[in-house]
Amino acid sequence: MPWLIGVVFPGAQRYLLHILVFTALFASLALSYDLTVGHVGSLSLAHPAFFGIGAYTAALLATQAGWPFLADSGAAMVLAGLVALLIGVPMFRLAEHAFAIGTLGFAMVTHIVATNWVEVTRGPLCVTGIPRPEIAMGAMRLKLTTVPHYYWLALAILALAALLYHGLTTFRLGRAFHAVRDNEVLASSAGIDPRRYRMLAFVIGAGMAGGIGAVYAHYITVLCPEEMTVALTINLLVIVFIGGVGRLRGVVIGAVLFTVLPEILRIAPTWRLVIYGALLLAIVIKWPDGLESAFHRTPRLRRGGA
Amino acid sequence: MEDLVEQVVHGLTLGSMYAMVATGLALMFGVVRLINFAHGEFFMLGAYAFWFSFSVLGLPYAVAVVLAAATMAGVGVIYERTIIRAILDRSWHVQLIATLATSIVLTNLAIIVFGAQAKEVPTRLSSTVLQIGQLRIAWHRLLVLGSALVIFAALHWFVRRTKMGKAMRAMSQNREACTVVGIDVQRVARATFALSALLAGAAAALVTPLFNIYPDMGALLTIKAFAAVVVGGFGSVPGAIAASFIIGVSESLAAGYVAYAYKDAIAFVIMIAVLLWRPHGLFGRRIGI
Repeated sequence: MPWLIGVVFPGAQRYLLHILVFTALFASLALSYDLTVGHVGSLSLAHPAFFGIGAYTAALLATQAGWPFLADSGAAMVLAGLVALLIGVPMFRLAEHAFAIGTLGFAMVTHIVATNWVEVTRGPLCVTGIPRPEIAMGAMRLKLTTVPHYYWLALAILALAALLYHGLTTFRLGRAFHAVRDNEVLASSAGIDPRRYRMLAFVIGAGMAGGIGAVYAHYITVLCPEEMTVALTINLLVIVFIGGVGRLRGVVIGAVLFTVLPEILRIAPTWRLVIYGALLLAIVIKWPDGLESAFHRTPRLRRGGA
Repeated sequence: MEDLVEQVVHGLTLGSMYAMVATGLALMFGVVRLINFAHGEFFMLGAYAFWFSFSVLGLPYAVAVVLAAATMAGVGVIYERTIIRAILDRSWHVQLIATLATSIVLTNLAIIVFGAQAKEVPTRLSSTVLQIGQLRIAWHRLLVLGSALVIFAALHWFVRRTKMGKAMRAMSQNREACTVVGIDVQRVARATFALSALLAGAAAALVTPLFNIYPDMGALLTIKAFAAVVVGGFGSVPGAIAASFIIGVSESLAAGYVAYAYKDAIAFVIMIAVLLWRPHGLFGRRIGI
């Protein structure tokens, strides 16, 4: 792909690959988000917090402690997952709306901490000089410094995320997730503890988001608190709902539409959010199963399935 | 000592603002079982409506307050007729995402229309100070507290004594039974939205002279008001009001004595603590207004 783009658009290779990197990372993040929203049916709004915690963990470990890429990304995943576990205990006591509000509150607190804990996060001054990743495999050192390198890394991350997503949502575990989502009471009567499965999806999703945050931080090299605002939740909701909640293909298509279209249309950021908001509104009202369903003549029996 | 009194008065002013916003949320939840994530944006629009009538048109303060509140009541009706009607019978996921999307659209439209910079709207009362010994309190804070008391008394009367208020309470208890006895459910819903938006507008017009206004101030306010609704017990108006004052005063004390930078986190810390201890909120048991 990088060579193809290099041949077709010689001057724009870097720019186009950059968009593709963003698309792949956004798609992976949306998949991790959809585990909670689409498969166990808990509308968490805390995802930017886990993404941000991962990104900050990796950025700080790399710049302050000189940790290598793989180690700091691993730490980012573990920490984001742990925080999700801790916050999940009180949050999953809440039903429906209250869960959404509680998680949104948590996301806002995390953002406030990232902005104000200047001694550690440097607050609005941002963490700068995050090194591009270097992976040591035995004697071989793989340095991912250029955009084409990163394109392959982002693609690998997306493949990994998709594999994990598919594996978690398809087999026995996936059926348990869907049972919890579709009928909580029936699920618990069948011996499936709803809270346990919800927590599992939430923590794994958070860990994935933390890892993606780490990769993202190493890519953009400058990390600011604005990366983890509520706007990110809106973006994720748009992606997940454009494509169709709980469907691998739908979420990836949503991410492609979401990142590529605005670049083509060249819309100003403020207008972009107005348009996304209006789009999200139109989609949830008209086609709550995703745009894909708008093209089907017969409605699907139940969303998801297998 | 004077310092403490000042912080408490500041907290009570904040509490009045949260209470008026939280009351609207609790009313909407109580009557139509809907959580309006765009409620903070009603406050924001109310603040700009006030700014427009007071600073741009140059109307007297009281007229500007009434105009801002009336404008917001109109916005509430329009909101009910367009967006709410389309989502009222849908799942709570759809409702939540639709109102969240509305809030994003309104915030960013406000940035485009009014600009991202904060606006100040000082009045004569907000710049003069009542001084008792070392104690200094802006007259405007006292005006806010007094108005809040009057507004809550009026609300209490409205909900207890008027036909519409009684219909709202009936609907919060049993919607089907209301249709059976011939209550126009849609009209009651519309009135609830008008009343909730009016309260947000009035709150905005009252406190705007004390704070700056900017387009994205709604989001944090929505969440804090929700925190108050959750702490007070979902759908309970008196609970939401009490919780708002608890949150306002704690926030003000935390800003003064603990860490100013983290004051916005207090509401959530209280919310999480209360939820761990009493998952139904401080006053929550059943849903009703």
